[in-house]
Amino acid sequence: MIPYIPIRQFLGVLAVWLPLLCSAQAPNFVKDNFTKKEVYIPMRDGKRLYTVIYSPKDESHPYPFLMERTPYSSGPYGDSVYKGSLGPNAALLQEKYIFVYQDVRGRYMSEGDFEEMTPHKEGKKSGKETDESSDTWDTVDWLLQHVRNNNGRVGIWGISYPGFYASASLPDAHPAIKAVSPQAPVTDEFIGDDANHNGAFFLLDNFDFDNFFDIKRPAPVKNYGGNIFRADIQDAYQFFLDLGPLKNANDSPYFNNQGKIWNEYMGHSTYDAYWRARNIRTHLKNIRPAVLVVGGWFDAEDMFGALRTYEAIERQSPHNDNHIVMGPWTHGGWAAGSWNRFGILDFQQNVNEVYHQIETKFFNYYLKDKDTSDLAEATVFETGANQWKKYSTWPPAEARPVKFYLRAGGRLSTEGKAAAPGARGAGAGSAAFDEYISDPAHPVPYIDGVHGGRDNQYIVTDQRFAAQRPDVLVYQTDVLTRDLRVTGRLKADIFMSASGTDADLVVKVIDVLPEREEGAAGTLPAGYQRLVRADVFRCKFRKSYEKPEPLVPGHATEISFDMNEIAHTFKKGHRIMVQLQSSWFPLVDMNPQTFVNIPTCKKEDFQKATIRVYHDGGHVSGIVLPVLAD
Amino acid sequence: MRKLLFSLLFSIGCFIVYGQGTSQDSVWIRDNYYKIEQMIPMRDGIKLFTSVYIPKDTTEQHPILLTRTPYSCAPYGGDKWKDFSSRYIRYYLREGYIVVTQDVRGRWMSEGQFVDVRPFIKDKKSNTDVDEASDTYDAIDWLVKNLPYNNGKVGVFGISYPGFYSTMAAASGHPALKAVSPQAPVTDWFMGDDFHHNGAYLQMDAWAFYSSFGKPRPQPTAVGPSGYDFRSKDSYQWYLQTGALKNVLKLTGDSIAFLTDLYQHPNLDEWWKVRNARVSMYNVKPAMLVVGGLFDAEDCYGAWNLYKAIRSQSPSTNSHLVMGPWYHGEWASNDGTHLGNVQFGSNTSFWYQNTIEIPFFNYYLKGKGAAPNLAAATIFFSGENKWRTFAQWPAAEKKDVSFYLQPDGGLSQALPAAKNNFSEYISDPAHPVPYTEDVHFNRTREYMTDDQRFASRRADVLTFQTPVLTEDLTLAGPVIADLKVSLSSTDADFVVKLIDVFPDDFSYGEEPAMAGRGHDLPKTYPMGGYQMLVHGEVMRGRFRESYEKPVPFKPGKIETVRFAVPDVAHTFKKGHRVMVQVQSSWFPLVDRNPQQFVNIYTCADSDFIKETIHVYHDSGHPSQLILPVLK
Repeated sequence: MIPYIPIRQFLGVLAVWLPLLCSAQAPNFVKDNFTKKEVYIPMRDGKRLYTVIYSPKDESHPYPFLMERTPYSSGPYGDSVYKGSLGPNAALLQEKYIFVYQDVRGRYMSEGDFEEMTPHKEGKKSGKETDESSDTWDTVDWLLQHVRNNNGRVGIWGISYPGFYASASLPDAHPAIKAVSPQAPVTDEFIGDDANHNGAFFLLDNFDFDNFFDIKRPAPVKNYGGNIFRADIQDAYQFFLDLGPLKNANDSPYFNNQGKIWNEYMGHSTYDAYWRARNIRTHLKNIRPAVLVVGGWFDAEDMFGALRTYEAIERQSPHNDNHIVMGPWTHGGWAAGSWNRFGILDFQQNVNEVYHQIETKFFNYYLKDKDTSDLAEATVFETGANQWKKYSTWPPAEARPVKFYLRAGGRLSTEGKAAAPGARGAGAGSAAFDEYISDPAHPVPYIDGVHGGRDNQYIVTDQRFAAQRPDVLVYQTDVLTRDLRVTGRLKADIFMSASGTDADLVVKVIDVLPEREEGAAGTLPAGYQRLVRADVFRCKFRKSYEKPEPLVPGHATEISFDMNEIAHTFKKGHRIMVQLQSSWFPLVDMNPQTFVNIPTCKKEDFQKATIRVYHDGGHVSGIVLPVLAD
Repeated sequence: MRKLLFSLLFSIGCFIVYGQGTSQDSVWIRDNYYKIEQMIPMRDGIKLFTSVYIPKDTTEQHPILLTRTPYSCAPYGGDKWKDFSSRYIRYYLREGYIVVTQDVRGRWMSEGQFVDVRPFIKDKKSNTDVDEASDTYDAIDWLVKNLPYNNGKVGVFGISYPGFYSTMAAASGHPALKAVSPQAPVTDWFMGDDFHHNGAYLQMDAWAFYSSFGKPRPQPTAVGPSGYDFRSKDSYQWYLQTGALKNVLKLTGDSIAFLTDLYQHPNLDEWWKVRNARVSMYNVKPAMLVVGGLFDAEDCYGAWNLYKAIRSQSPSTNSHLVMGPWYHGEWASNDGTHLGNVQFGSNTSFWYQNTIEIPFFNYYLKGKGAAPNLAAATIFFSGENKWRTFAQWPAAEKKDVSFYLQPDGGLSQALPAAKNNFSEYISDPAHPVPYTEDVHFNRTREYMTDDQRFASRRADVLTFQTPVLTEDLTLAGPVIADLKVSLSSTDADFVVKLIDVFPDDFSYGEEPAMAGRGHDLPKTYPMGGYQMLVHGEVMRGRFRESYEKPVPFKPGKIETVRFAVPDVAHTFKKGHRVMVQVQSSWFPLVDRNPQQFVNIYTCADSDFIKETIHVYHDSGHPSQLILPVLK
């Protein structure tokens, strides 16, 4: 059994260790060149936040601050124990900044109470009201006054949950904050980040993460000392199938009502005030610091957060100096020293070399007046072609939305002419719909094989195991006669009906490799169905995330949703495939397929459903791909 | 069988494990043997090409060990020698055996016409009535009369197709033939070996094997047939796309005579009955050692059932059975410690070679050693990983115990109490249940012990399991599946899989590495909760009443489908569970049933339809597995 490290927890570890492991710096570089100091910084309400400051020993010139605020510990704690590496990459460490790490309010050694995704308060009335913006402000204010030899400028970065704290520092930012890099920032956990996608609950991640993260802390601690419960899961599919309805997760020996965040999630199964208050996008207005948003195409947690944070700033702060970098990374993969491949994909270059230059220049320019500001608006790695591309707008304005229609006989085609009205039926070749039975006792696995935790390669692996199932619909184009470059917003627009009153729809866009030829060395195996993008939509939210509505059994309804941006070349000789299914287990909890409150529903509420997907004249299902001219 | 050929070739080059030979063996063999090649005349004048390795030693007379093969006695040329150095046959050479390999009639360098599993002629009337038994008789006769310094005693052995020729050798009745070991013998290609199981066509093995092996050989040749170029790495996709069986045959036209013939004989007719090797097993004279693998995907049926035929039809024959935890022919390899993810605790092949087979031939052919203290049956039990011996097989001590499918997915000895209760699934020929999870082209050996969790996750696979066992449960003998089913159409296949569910915290300590999955995690196979296939078998429903005269199902009518799963020898350990899975496809191992009562070999793609299948588990229609429980 490989011990499974919760991903967001893993990030903390990754961010600390990977630069150390992969950089060429001397082992004692930090200790030799920095002085460490630990302080409690008082906030406006009197609570004190534990802060660790690493100052360069060389005081020949002043330095800017580069700060990460984290719920994952600013440790190691103690004046004589140093982090192995500092800052977001090795070049910035060599550059020397005053590196600051802070335990956010209520976590580890900081005082106060922790709140999940602290809601931002607009127009704070009393001087005592706090949020992450004010805590960052107070911290910055204190640092400027109390830390020797600073140049009066502050940069902030963070990956994942710390990415949220970077975003949360932006509204009403302290004027000394000049450059902020939210990286895979947790942004909206109902619509697209860790906890839910389009209202569908990410069971595997939440169960695992909250078990680790949601343990009670009566007083400041250096170590939380374990998880809420022990679960030695070797086969997550079987484990969660056996667990049954979501409410059972709150039984002993699992959360047993000990998880505050878990209970909050269970208590808020629609996009209500709880979730809306935690959507930081709303507040990304009048943003002054320069922003560099970073995200990964293979980030199973917060790809949405990166793309949508950038978008929100563009839209709501049009004059902001805002940039985005999207690369072929898993969650936080850009923090590693090198990144040449992921799973069976080989990028044939160290993509992190390009990225670390961008990141280094960004902070150097805004905080040190060093280097140039030749940063592109959007720097995007195009998968399939394995090339970095630069765009002056994101998504690129020149991308043309092209609808690929689902057609009878498993075809996917840009020809929209559909079957004649009235052709609906079971006759071979003329059926105006395809159907399958979605059985909650046998959900479609999100990946083949047996895995204890979420295998983050699911996001690119072969989907043939799914195509072999009767509860997965498959549509594919003819073999492409030329490369098809697709860059921009991807949308799904599916007409479906269900025999029950709710259902999930999972849409997967797949790059199918040629069946009968091996490619060059290093390419994927023949016939491989490489997942390019997938997402889930919980159909009860088709009209509103706030006010779910039951499906009308047997009645065709349009399920239309955004699947975020992609940047991919489907090469000549390949095919584009779409797979549709109604479960993605246990990545996403099983929809009971009846219109009930899922966190409180019972085993009996789970029903088989017949799902139909239509491709007749009146109901032309398809996906919209943003096609770029060559 | 093709697999075996490859595997032996592979083992010559690559296996470096316990029992490994050395170049010293090669040098010793070259120094102490000479090779001749001989065309040996048969009674009808046809000559068979024979390669003979003879000891130079003239101080004593030597026994002859003969293998007759359709796979070539290559290398050809008196100066070109087989590489025996990494194969256990080197031990026979060290013992001074004359080692003979013969190309059977019509193959490779032999004259005459090849006939697949050539029917045995019981009453031969003239010298033109030849069969493999007469060819073996004539070959032995020539060898003992012409080879210098032979001791007049001959043994025959062979694996797979050569196992069939070993059976035919035993039927030859030549007085010099003292000991025969048919190993994984091809025995009945309709009922249970390579081509069909209970009438269902094993298309993947048949096609992969015969698309090259079945090509015509107009003239004797030292050059083998080329393989068919499938241009695919994905057999599931290839067979699904190719579609109906008639489309597959079109790919080779009428060039593969045997497949063309096979397509003409969808039922168990005379054509098949004369190709059942068991019809030759009466009044068998030599000592017999039948050998097979519990997990042999090709001819495990042949080994179990040839032995049973000898015992019942020729009861006074000195016959023995050895079954180990092996893939096809693995007992001749240097390994035998594991198959796929399942481990067997010791090198069972090495044990077999040294404890059973070599002493067997040494005693009967050389008079060396005491009469081997060989039980009637020496059987390895997976699960407990132990050899056991029996005075008869199936074991006299076994008791048939009904395990009933239960409404809640349970499996227990109690008759189900519910009324009118069934589980249902839709069997969709467009999405058949895969026989194994990984994408691959050649049929794997390991599927025989593969984790069945991938199948449990499908709605078209029914799963029933016992509670956690509180004591060991040992099975020793054939398993009978007795299903009460109704169909929405007129035919269906039923695949029954007997599965050992390992405890959730199970670990071997050092888990097997996972190969080629394209995932970084986990590096080793997670054995906790492993659903080990102990044995699976398919039954083509139309044959439920008769293999000769298939009958359609009446839609909606509850009918019995009863069939035997080949013998198992397995202990479900305390803490494990017994699981049964029922499904209606096993693809592409078995061709898809169109699910209509049509001729499957000639039907069209459009004949393949979805159907709903009910498997009953109520008091009036209890479906059950009858397990051979050893007390």
